[in-house]
Amino acid sequence: MSDTRVDPAGGFSIESLKANPRQARRERLIRDSLGATALVSVFISALIIWSLFSEAWTFIFEVDWGSVWDIGWFPRRGIYDIKTLIVASLIVTGIAMIVAGPLGLGAAIYLSEYARPGVRRTLKPVLEILAGIPSVVLGFFALKWIAPNLVETLFGGPAAGSLLAAGIGVGVLVVPLVASISEDAMKAVPMALREASSGLGARKVMTTMRVVLPAAVSGLMAAFIVAISRALGETMIVFMAGGAAQTAVYTHSALDGSLTMTAGMTSLARGTDNVVGEGLTFQSLFFVGLVLFALTFALNLIADRFVHRVREQY
Amino acid sequence: MRLQKLLVLIIGLITTFALVAAACGNDDDDGAAAPSTSEQQSSGSDAQPAPAGTVSGSVTISGSSTVEPISVRVAELFEDVQPDVAVTVDGPGTGDGFKLFCAGETDISDASRQIKDSEAEDCAESGVEWVELRVGIDGIAVMTGESNPVECVTFNDIYGLVGPESTGFGSWSDAGSLGLATSDLPDADLDIYGPGEESGTFDSFIEIVLEDIADERGQDATTRPDYNANADDNVIIQGIQSSDTSFGWVGFAFAANASGVKLLDVDGGDGCVGANANTIASGEYPVSRSLYIYVNKAKAEASPAVSAYVDFYMSDEGLGTAVADVGYVNLTDEAKGATRANWAGR
Amino acid sequence: MAKARLVGDRTNKVMVQAMERRSTDVRGRVFQISLLVTLLVSLFILAVLIVDVVMDGWGILTGRPGGFLGGTMRSLSDDPKLGVHQALVGTFWIAVFVAVLAFPIGIGAAIWLEEYAPKNRFTRFIELNIRNLAGVPSIVYGLLGLFLFVNHLEGVTGGKSIASAGITLAILVLPIVVITAQEAIRAVPQGLKEGAYGVGATKWTMIRSQVLPYAAPGILTGTLLSMSRGIGEAAPLLLVGAVSGRLGRDSGFFDFGDINADAFMAMPVIIVEWVQNSGRDPGFAEAAAAAIVVLLVFVILMNATAIFLRNHFENKRG
Repeated sequence: MSDTRVDPAGGFSIESLKANPRQARRERLIRDSLGATALVSVFISALIIWSLFSEAWTFIFEVDWGSVWDIGWFPRRGIYDIKTLIVASLIVTGIAMIVAGPLGLGAAIYLSEYARPGVRRTLKPVLEILAGIPSVVLGFFALKWIAPNLVETLFGGPAAGSLLAAGIGVGVLVVPLVASISEDAMKAVPMALREASSGLGARKVMTTMRVVLPAAVSGLMAAFIVAISRALGETMIVFMAGGAAQTAVYTHSALDGSLTMTAGMTSLARGTDNVVGEGLTFQSLFFVGLVLFALTFALNLIADRFVHRVREQY
Repeated sequence: MRLQKLLVLIIGLITTFALVAAACGNDDDDGAAAPSTSEQQSSGSDAQPAPAGTVSGSVTISGSSTVEPISVRVAELFEDVQPDVAVTVDGPGTGDGFKLFCAGETDISDASRQIKDSEAEDCAESGVEWVELRVGIDGIAVMTGESNPVECVTFNDIYGLVGPESTGFGSWSDAGSLGLATSDLPDADLDIYGPGEESGTFDSFIEIVLEDIADERGQDATTRPDYNANADDNVIIQGIQSSDTSFGWVGFAFAANASGVKLLDVDGGDGCVGANANTIASGEYPVSRSLYIYVNKAKAEASPAVSAYVDFYMSDEGLGTAVADVGYVNLTDEAKGATRANWAGR
Repeated sequence: MAKARLVGDRTNKVMVQAMERRSTDVRGRVFQISLLVTLLVSLFILAVLIVDVVMDGWGILTGRPGGFLGGTMRSLSDDPKLGVHQALVGTFWIAVFVAVLAFPIGIGAAIWLEEYAPKNRFTRFIELNIRNLAGVPSIVYGLLGLFLFVNHLEGVTGGKSIASAGITLAILVLPIVVITAQEAIRAVPQGLKEGAYGVGATKWTMIRSQVLPYAAPGILTGTLLSMSRGIGEAAPLLLVGAVSGRLGRDSGFFDFGDINADAFMAMPVIIVEWVQNSGRDPGFAEAAAAAIVVLLVFVILMNATAIFLRNHFENKRG
């Protein structure tokens, strides 16, 4: 070994504790390349913002704003009524939350407060499997099962897809999300609070409703906001089961078919060949994308705040 | 151990990039699906004497999105008997198809109308000789609810009901307010159902019925936007069934089997004609049009793949089965004979 | 020996009554049962979904499983050559892109964030940024792919190609890989790390010999979850141009040349395509259901493995 750090005469100095320069170089190289991989995410964010803005910009400056507030979404003929898409998105999101709120929260309370460990160990993975179901599958289910079996028979709506069918489908999609974040939030409530409540003679219902839920409220808020953001951004279910093709007349009835922001983009982008070069049609895609991105970004930031509050408290 | 695995992954990453870069270098000449834009070279390899009945090579087709499904269906059936031929079919539109065709970039052009003089000149300039083959008929049924008293509509009526100037009209009688000569239409609610903008039937309907009137009046050739558009023909039929005074249109093959709807007679200038397979095949029913393919003669000569494909197109499996499979009306036997004679006598 | 009374007679009586009464907490029971019902509704939906899909696809899956897996896209649903082979090839390549791009970069970023990053504003910014990326709707990634890989980098990716789709989905799952890997690395006990330093390990040697092996199951769980997310995603693929209609080419799994050839198909997209076709040809609904079963087999297998792995190691380590 040509390692000269240790004096062959047996002397052991401060020099011998220093890393050998080759090793130090290697350590630095590894640190820097790992750092570079972490920067990739920043780079990706920049790319997303660049791609959205560079096309949306053209749209914002060149569009006749009268066509952005009109009778409906007809991008191929220059009518870009954004309120049609936003209202449909809100309807779908609202229905999704009406479905997912109680189901997700109920499941979370049960798993966190009531279920015996064995039961929990079996039920939780099943919920996680539900979370992993691809949205095309739920889209198929919403169109072929929910629309004819629930929407038509219970609400008298069309069997061929509607905002209601899509909303229920999206609700099913976000149930596991609501459940898992809410459950985490309730698990984070210290056991001492529950014990104190029981010690004062409160029953389990009382402890759960008056102690655990209020203590976990930040996390529950986060769960709902993340779910809303996810529902707004959900694409395939609304595209497949929303009951409209390529264009939509403005509607605020959940039993009609319409296009949400995401479904509008998807139907427009299928066969993008034909979109390029027809006025601002191609750019409108990125304008809607930018609106959606801004909305979900704001929601995610708010949810992030709530999550942090939970961490700080306990 | 872990480091080694990480290294393997990183090396894999680099190799993949290298492969991607290498593959895009010779993008145009690998992959069976690459369009044979280099006609002479590709036909050189195609010209190898093919062993008994099997040929290889590629066929490139572009043009009308209305005809596209027929050519696709023929390609599917053809590849079952000639698996070494790769057929690519695109549907950018009849006009774009002819641009590519006359520039020699495609072997066959799908067209939902006959070639225009200006397009024919382009072809002549670049020395592309072609043969025109009529392959089928596209008929569109115009429908309403079963108990609607209206029996027959003219092109002017249809323009007044669904044309670009009728946006917001809620009653049949509003159609008369455009100053066009229309029939006496009732003052009844107007609910409109039809295919969406991406559909070939949507384009056909505009080109056959609305385009001429819209041009005359200086309007865009399109429909009013505010109607119930759907990609699912069943949904359109259900919509029309749901109201007595609805109005709508779908491809004839689909409407023919529907119940609970009334197929309207249409007056294209020569009196009211009802839609059925005979009146469509004979061209009497006005909301119909012939569909064509145009074959580049030189390419058919040079490439056994192209000529074999067109031969197959001309067989009963092509003009008969494939055309009916995708929902169009078959030519009469006479007309089929004429088409085959055109191909044989090229 | 007389017991000392702690409370007076009246109080004693009330307490004895309260303790001896068979308590029927009706409200509590109702509450608990309604909670259980909400959970069971979710599970019931999952069951209905799977039964519905399997029943719809049963005919094709049992009738001609080989033909379906080896077949291609066709115009008619009753065509015996109808099948998902092209889509399987596309999804296979997307998975390769995700594994080759997202896994190393994501795990690398997680190691840096947990072990190297200084605790400052910039690090917090990166972490916030990654959490936000995880919440960006998938269709926005599709817009990125359309703008960047399909239009601007056409020369490299070949436009609407499997390469564009693969890179787009790798970017989409990257934040999930980072976040799950971070959690796994964070769970490594401090003692293990200090032990390694104590015997003179450098930082990287410590990470390699202690942190990564301990965190490996957690990291693997994260990669499996993100892979199953990646192969099930459809929206971005529709934007980066998965074909609708006919895909003339049916490549083998290892035809590298077709990675950047124009047009491709993938499992989630073929499902959308067939669902849309079912409007004019109802038989396509069965084909779509059969394709869903094929996709679900992969996705559920991956998820179940991931969940099992995580629970297994969680239990083992208490």
